[in-house]
Amino acid sequence: MKSVQTMTFWQLVLSELKAIVSDKAIAVTLFGGVLFYSVLYPLPYLHQVPTEQQLVVVDLDHSSLSRRLIRHADASPKISVIGQVGSITDAKSWIESGRAHGLLVIPEGFRRDLLLGKGVTLSYGGDASYFLIYSAVAEGLVTAGMDAGKQVQLLGMLAKGEAPEQAAQSLNSVKVNSVPAFNPSLGYTPYVVPGLFLLILHQTLLIGTGILGAGQWKARGYWSEVSPLQLISGRISAFMLIYLFFSSFYVGFCFYWYQVSIQASLGLVALFLLPFLLATSVAGIALSCLFVRRDLPTQVLLLASMPIMFVSGFVWPIALIPEPLIWVSQAIPAVPAIMGMLELNQMGASWSSIMPKWLQLWSLFAVFFLLALYGVSKRLKESR
Amino acid sequence: MSGLIALIKRELHALWRSPWQLALVSYIPILSILCLWWLFSAGLPRQLPVAIVDHDNSQLSRMLGRKLQANPVISPQSFVDLSSAVTAMKQAEVYGIIVFPYELKRDLVTGHSPTIDIRYNSQFLLVGKLLSSQIQMTLGAGLLEVAGGKLLLQGVPESTISVHLSPVKSQTTALFNRNNNYVGFLVPPVLVALWQLLAMLIFSNSLSRELTCEGGLVPGAGVWSRVLAKVVLFTPILLIHGGFILALLYLYLGLPAAGSLALLMLAQFVMLLAVWLLVLLVFFIMRDSARIVSFGTAMFAPAFAFMGITFPVHEMPLVAQWWRLIMPSSHYVDSHVSIISYGAPWQTIALQLTSYWGFLLIIPVLVLLSRRLDIASPSCEKIA
Repeated sequence: MKSVQTMTFWQLVLSELKAIVSDKAIAVTLFGGVLFYSVLYPLPYLHQVPTEQQLVVVDLDHSSLSRRLIRHADASPKISVIGQVGSITDAKSWIESGRAHGLLVIPEGFRRDLLLGKGVTLSYGGDASYFLIYSAVAEGLVTAGMDAGKQVQLLGMLAKGEAPEQAAQSLNSVKVNSVPAFNPSLGYTPYVVPGLFLLILHQTLLIGTGILGAGQWKARGYWSEVSPLQLISGRISAFMLIYLFFSSFYVGFCFYWYQVSIQASLGLVALFLLPFLLATSVAGIALSCLFVRRDLPTQVLLLASMPIMFVSGFVWPIALIPEPLIWVSQAIPAVPAIMGMLELNQMGASWSSIMPKWLQLWSLFAVFFLLALYGVSKRLKESR
Repeated sequence: MSGLIALIKRELHALWRSPWQLALVSYIPILSILCLWWLFSAGLPRQLPVAIVDHDNSQLSRMLGRKLQANPVISPQSFVDLSSAVTAMKQAEVYGIIVFPYELKRDLVTGHSPTIDIRYNSQFLLVGKLLSSQIQMTLGAGLLEVAGGKLLLQGVPESTISVHLSPVKSQTTALFNRNNNYVGFLVPPVLVALWQLLAMLIFSNSLSRELTCEGGLVPGAGVWSRVLAKVVLFTPILLIHGGFILALLYLYLGLPAAGSLALLMLAQFVMLLAVWLLVLLVFFIMRDSARIVSFGTAMFAPAFAFMGITFPVHEMPLVAQWWRLIMPSSHYVDSHVSIISYGAPWQTIALQLTSYWGFLLIIPVLVLLSRRLDIASPSCEKIA
């Protein structure tokens, strides 16, 4: 053990790094966790969009037009017609057994009524126990149904003696051009990955600093040889060094690998991540002063991760979250960081518009720094 | 038998003396369950801000604006120019932009076909998809009225206008979740994932108490009778939590449930047994309290993504489908959907429960591993 006089700042950082790497629980969380989660979390979503959902058809008409409608539905990329049954009850049992996820009912007299100029109603049903499947089925069927309707309309107009071009135009009098912005493929990984990965960085950083602190307060070591201010600065520097690589890996390589849309420049992203990582690591140090058992920080933060994920607003819109929850959540560094990062990097907002969130992160850093200073000096005094 | 009762008493005593463990079985579950439900309590996305840029300022564009206003999902915000609307969209202040072009009405009346542009924020996939379909539906209905007026001018009798406009009507039904309620869709799997984490933490903590600092077993009864005592004590406690979730959702909030809740409790019971087996496996391999929790966290934290509720199972890559089978919660969620949505009878559930067979393979491994665990010498003291 070095004495106070000989321990320089870099020696402190070095002993911090040694303590981090040699502690198996921290190493598992930091190195194992960050790498493992970068593969495991996006794994279910790799195919991005649900396609070819199984659909069962109840055709009560058996006409040329109903068969054409079924072929159209089958041609939609969202739907694959897997079979026909005689009644809705049979279709229901197919859905309940998981063979199909949606049904299409073509009523009796479908073609005849259409040609006679009477309206008909097609019924679609999708299993709304799974929203993504339901929306895929509904989307595919509505487009197929609209298409069939337009063809009938066109035939009717032509029969009445309208010119083909004019008939086609009066069917599409106004064009509606609806285009997704920021995530053009409507993919699932560009939706989940940016927010989730910042949250993983946040949680592992808190757990790492938490375990390290909790394990040290009851014992003596290099940490009792330095002042609280030195210890906090040294610890922040050590974790920042490690997280420099982790965040570059996540925000650089993983975003590219998972096809997340990227709009901001490297400099701006780094500038925004700086107070986020600083605030998080110092919040972790402040938090670690509450624990003396090494297995507690992981448990507390594990239970907190799901609420933080949902309150940060990238899964469930902020407009629908009760206000008190939003106020409380502003003290968590991940919450302003996730939203600010999405606006800056995925949606291309200007720096001036995310400036309030950046300043919020800096003030969180200041507040947590004071708390950490208070907590660490108390803990160090106890152990002396 | 009396030995078992003595061991259970020992467990109860230990539970009483550990504040964290006591919190985990009492107020933490209740608080987090209520908190997560509160977060999603809005249930149906409503009043989502959408920017409207009206370059036309005609009677038609104002009529369409009023139609949008009448849709409960959309809350239109007027913007004078496109660039300020784009800025607002980039800052996530609005979730979509609708642009009515200059001379929209004139083009329509003179037989040209103008284009209405819609951009929706697909970075927030959930909101974006919903808005896209709602905006198109509302504009479509509004434009039909205009087309109807045009047909009247051409001398089509009023009674046949609706058939002329849309010969094929469609009726889309969201099966098993009629109003697309997010509370019924998202909250049960989220709470089950939380419940699984709680079960893992409680059981790991209780097992860790049997370890000495060197990873041996504290002196006392045989390892298996201690494990049995823990299972006998914690299974009912966790089932009370599980029952609380079901009671909150399906009795107090009155979400529709087609099947019997007693059957769901049975499914929860089997899921708990599977969680116990996994935790025991981690315990026998790791033999250190912090590492057991870290490893358990790494395994169980992403369970929600693998349940297959938000993203369908059959669209996941094969590796993800395999990993999914390791999570007890995914097996449970299948039974949950079958019972709640389809009202499955006990025969179906019994068949589904056999999917847990893989967990039985853990038992022989546990027996082998438990032989390596020695009763420690009394000299080594247990860490607090």
